Amino acid sequence: MIRAEDIRVTFKRGLSRRPIHALQGLTLEVREGDFFALIGQNGAGKSTAMYCFLGLLKPTSGRVEVMGQIPDLGRPVYSDVAYLPEEPHYHLYLTVEEAVRYYASLYGRRVSKKAIEDSLERLGLAQFKNLRLSKCSKGMKQKVGIAQCLIHETRLLFLDEPTRGLDPIAVREFRETLRDIHHRGATVVMNSHVLSEIEMLANRVAIIDAGRVVAQDDLSNLLTGDRESYIVTFEPNGSLPEYLFAAERQGTVMKGVIPKERLYDFMEFARTHALGLHECSLKKTSLEEKFFNIVKGGHGPVVESAKLLK
Amino acid sequence: MAELLRANLVAHLSFYRRSRLLLAFLILFAVLTALATVPQFFVDSGVQNFNKLQEIFGTINFFLKLFAAGLGLFIVSSHLRSRNLKMVFTKPCPPWIWLGSAFLSAVLVAFLLNAVVLGAVTALSLLWHLPVRSGLAFVAADTFGISIGLAAYLMLLATVLHPAIAAILAIILNADMFYEGFVWARSAIHAGNQSAGARVLEYMFHFLYIIAPIMHPFSRNTANIYVSLRVMHGEWKYLLYSLGYSLGLSAFCCLVALSALHRKRHI
Repeated sequence: MIRAEDIRVTFKRGLSRRPIHALQGLTLEVREGDFFALIGQNGAGKSTAMYCFLGLLKPTSGRVEVMGQIPDLGRPVYSDVAYLPEEPHYHLYLTVEEAVRYYASLYGRRVSKKAIEDSLERLGLAQFKNLRLSKCSKGMKQKVGIAQCLIHETRLLFLDEPTRGLDPIAVREFRETLRDIHHRGATVVMNSHVLSEIEMLANRVAIIDAGRVVAQDDLSNLLTGDRESYIVTFEPNGSLPEYLFAAERQGTVMKGVIPKERLYDFMEFARTHALGLHECSLKKTSLEEKFFNIVKGGHGPVVESAKLLK
Repeated sequence: MAELLRANLVAHLSFYRRSRLLLAFLILFAVLTALATVPQFFVDSGVQNFNKLQEIFGTINFFLKLFAAGLGLFIVSSHLRSRNLKMVFTKPCPPWIWLGSAFLSAVLVAFLLNAVVLGAVTALSLLWHLPVRSGLAFVAADTFGISIGLAAYLMLLATVLHPAIAAILAIILNADMFYEGFVWARSAIHAGNQSAGARVLEYMFHFLYIIAPIMHPFSRNTANIYVSLRVMHGEWKYLLYSLGYSLGLSAFCCLVALSALHRKRHI
């Protein structure tokens, strides 16, 4: 669906034309039907990468293909693409209804009044349909952006920080809407800092750092990569097994981690020492932990990227 | 394509309708026009009604041209500066349709305003028992042609420059000024100044005069029509030439603006 090969983007700023390397050899692939998340720190290059996929920015070098075509402004390929920008750079002189109608009409198809009304209703914008966008809050503008994405059933959806500025109820509803869109077969590419949200929605993730993809894999692989150990919680009774590590006492119980291959040894140890076993579960790594380890882990990223980058 | 054009046209017309800056300009022009024309109604020092009509028509037409230039400037600069074109170009709407519809919308508004002014001066002619002269239609059509050329020129400047710089360039550094400079440099040379600097200035002003768009390319041939509001047989062709020049200039400006629009980063 999207293929980016070694794309580099260099901006020149100021009188001295100082070069700023926004992307430094970014390579990634989004397959059809993926819910693909781009994550990274501020300034890592996530939005720049998305601009390249949308044809808003031409890479200094490298190649980008979207649905087999090189993206450029206003190309026919966009009849199957919807985009929700990070900043609400909308036509502020239009009303909510006019804006949704205008953006929907730009697909070259006449949009029925009912489709517009349904879309506004779905996002709770119906009562504000005559309000100008310049008078709307940031969250409302974001909903307008979402509404225009929902009118046509596009095959590819780009979302740049989609839940920024939305209230918690709208976030949950939007998440459900995104799930529906993905289940009907659309490919979704999303930038977000809300890692818990990505864990809930995405099936593939690319971690971008300093303009490069340092890790790219299925989310399940990324998170189970460390599932080589078990967390155990028990009431100690004298000695502790020598393979228990990261042990800490929490009141009367001890919590620690044991290697996967020593699970049966630990069970035997617990039986022979009559330990009160409270919990024994596969250790899970959250996306946040993984992200932090990769991006902030010193030499970690290089090792991880070698392992994870496909 | 028709749906894209229609959608963009509707949006652009909404922009004109709701732009406070354009409204402020319109009010300013109305006030200035009133200040320039209302005294004509009270002066009765043997001045004919025809002269009053001609004065009023000339003043309003001058402001109409400025207003049309403002339309071209604001429609492009406002959208570029608010960075909302990313919402347009990430849909199957190519830049030429957006730019073409922006130009068409300016043409529509300019046409409407010119038609209203022509209607008003025709009514005034009838009110003052003056014959409705064909020159009124000629001047109105010529003003319309100049307006669309100006709108396209300002659209081009707004695409590549900051709107303030674009306005300054259009108001001050125009063909008339370069022509004045050329005449001044040539006079200096004829008066005996043989320095290389004077020669360079003469060539430079001449070059700039040639490349800068001329708003009244046939002013020598049509000056009499503007004064008498009569069109002699054989003078209508200058209206066609003038409209042709404006359309050619507009097409050139739109093509260059389109190329600049493609090169811009809409992020």
